[in-house]
Amino acid sequence: MKKLIRNIAIVLLITSCNNDDSKLITYNNPEISLNIPSDFPELNNSFYNNIPTEFGVELGKKLFFDKQLSADNTISCSSCHIQESAFADHNPKGIGIEGRIGLRNAPPVQNMAFMQFYNWDGNKLQLEDQPLVPIITHEEMDSSILEVIGKLETDPFYIELFNKAFEGEGITADDIYNSIAQYEYTLISSNSKYDKVKRNEGETFTESEAQGFAIFQDKCISCHSTELFTDQTFRNIGFPINPDIEEGGRTRITGLVEDYMRFRVPSLRNIEYTSPYGSFGQFATLEAVLDYLDNGVLEADNLDPILKDNDNRIPLTEEEKIDLIAFMKTLSDTEFLGL
Amino acid sequence: MKNLKKYMLSAAVLVAFMSCSSDDENRVANNVTLEFSNTFNNTPIVLGAATSADATVNTSDAGQVHHFSELKYVVSNIRLIKADGTEIPYNVNNLDTGATVVNQAKPETLNYVLSDIPVGDYTEIKFGLGVRSDLNILDQVSFPTFYDNAGSNDTEMHWEWGTGYRFTKIEGFYDTDNKELSFHSGSTLEGEEGNYTQGQDAYRDITLSLPSTATVGNNAPTIAIKADFDYLLSGDSHTVTLVSTENITNNATPSAHTATEMMKFVENIGGNGTTDVTGMFSITSVEN
Repeated sequence: MKKLIRNIAIVLLITSCNNDDSKLITYNNPEISLNIPSDFPELNNSFYNNIPTEFGVELGKKLFFDKQLSADNTISCSSCHIQESAFADHNPKGIGIEGRIGLRNAPPVQNMAFMQFYNWDGNKLQLEDQPLVPIITHEEMDSSILEVIGKLETDPFYIELFNKAFEGEGITADDIYNSIAQYEYTLISSNSKYDKVKRNEGETFTESEAQGFAIFQDKCISCHSTELFTDQTFRNIGFPINPDIEEGGRTRITGLVEDYMRFRVPSLRNIEYTSPYGSFGQFATLEAVLDYLDNGVLEADNLDPILKDNDNRIPLTEEEKIDLIAFMKTLSDTEFLGL
Repeated sequence: MKNLKKYMLSAAVLVAFMSCSSDDENRVANNVTLEFSNTFNNTPIVLGAATSADATVNTSDAGQVHHFSELKYVVSNIRLIKADGTEIPYNVNNLDTGATVVNQAKPETLNYVLSDIPVGDYTEIKFGLGVRSDLNILDQVSFPTFYDNAGSNDTEMHWEWGTGYRFTKIEGFYDTDNKELSFHSGSTLEGEEGNYTQGQDAYRDITLSLPSTATVGNNAPTIAIKADFDYLLSGDSHTVTLVSTENITNNATPSAHTATEMMKFVENIGGNGTTDVTGMFSITSVEN
């Protein structure tokens, strides 16, 4: 509704411009063309209300890397969301200002435009709602949106960039959230070896990778489905439980007992570069994850039926583990990672 | 626009004062003070550390002794209802001027003064325990005063991961060995208003009939509201036994920061939203 009013206002402004010679500066801020992979899941609807533009993305990227978003100017979004790690990091749990340790493992920021749920527990359904969380969280940036706006307003370059990106509104909270989301929408990873094999671009799987792909389709794909390699459901797969009393998994959001310690199935894209694994980094390596699933997981009332029906485990031979990991490494997109 | 509003308000206030001094019969509005007292049954709560000798100790229906070291809750969306049914909303859409954090550790927060309440006879009060969903977005730009009050270090009523406010925050101790007890509530609704796609609504609308009429006129009435925290563990909806296991189906762990267990406490102190609209609250007196 707000946007509609704004758009009408803009139309009115532009119309009036045509009639008289008022000196309203209008910037040419074209939408950028994104390479949307044809076989990826549908875009999140919010994308259509916040389509990335040239200056919106430029602004969002600048903010993403700007340490002024934290109270003591020591960390930025990019401190925990590092490109070479698929915009995740290698700490078991997120680390904020003054070395404060958060609740969970920092998730990779990739292919966000195609996600319907964000974060381990799916507490956010729109990417635009997310940036405020780390800005204000004590264990992350511990700042506030007015504090951030106050810092940005001292920089004429920022003021101009906000004006270019958002029709001369000045620096607003919504513009900060929207521009960061626009930048994140552009972080699409779809040029891994797997993709090139699938698109017949001249690459082929090794024997081990091909074996791994077959095992993957047999034993993993019921959760790690679609071209994002996650079905975006929430499941309890009996991983070691985070001892932090704040942790409840998805039940923290829904209040449903059956959601206790359920987490969103993570994407496997670029998984080679996002260790450690698990909601609080329980596993240092992919080998450790597969060994754990092979040996047997924790029992729980709401343990996923796929595990329950198989004696709480996913049996894998050592050979199968090697092949699976070889396949998972074909999901690494060095172009996306900037390597 | 904001300034204009302020001028108009000032003018209105000025007129109100002028009319007061010149002729009391023409008074159009006066204050109403809400006086909160936090109790276990009829005993006022004294906060205290784990081994405090002064803290008020309560025993739950399940037989567990407990006391609090911290006790805070948000009151907002206040409405006074006249005998003829007219509802007078008090800055219900403005958290800066219409919401407050009641904090047992800060006596000054136990009295909340509603200003400029139109003269009349009032027989009922409604208010929210917590923040209505449409305002519960940690919007510092729109409501900087409430945001800062709620978020200050000694208050901690921001629920960051839910980008909303904490509605209740209770810390304390239970059982004879003083194990830690911690209860936070807040909403986790997501999606468009009226069409929420996930989450729990911990906001509770409280309705209380006044035992006698509050007459706003030359007098500025005081409405004494009791919040009986005996209800937390021994409410109308749930008899809670605190347990320190992970079996969350029948009982509640003493650290209820997740929505599953949170709602048991929410329903006990804020009512179930249908048959129980008073929860732990009652009116002890109205003084005109």
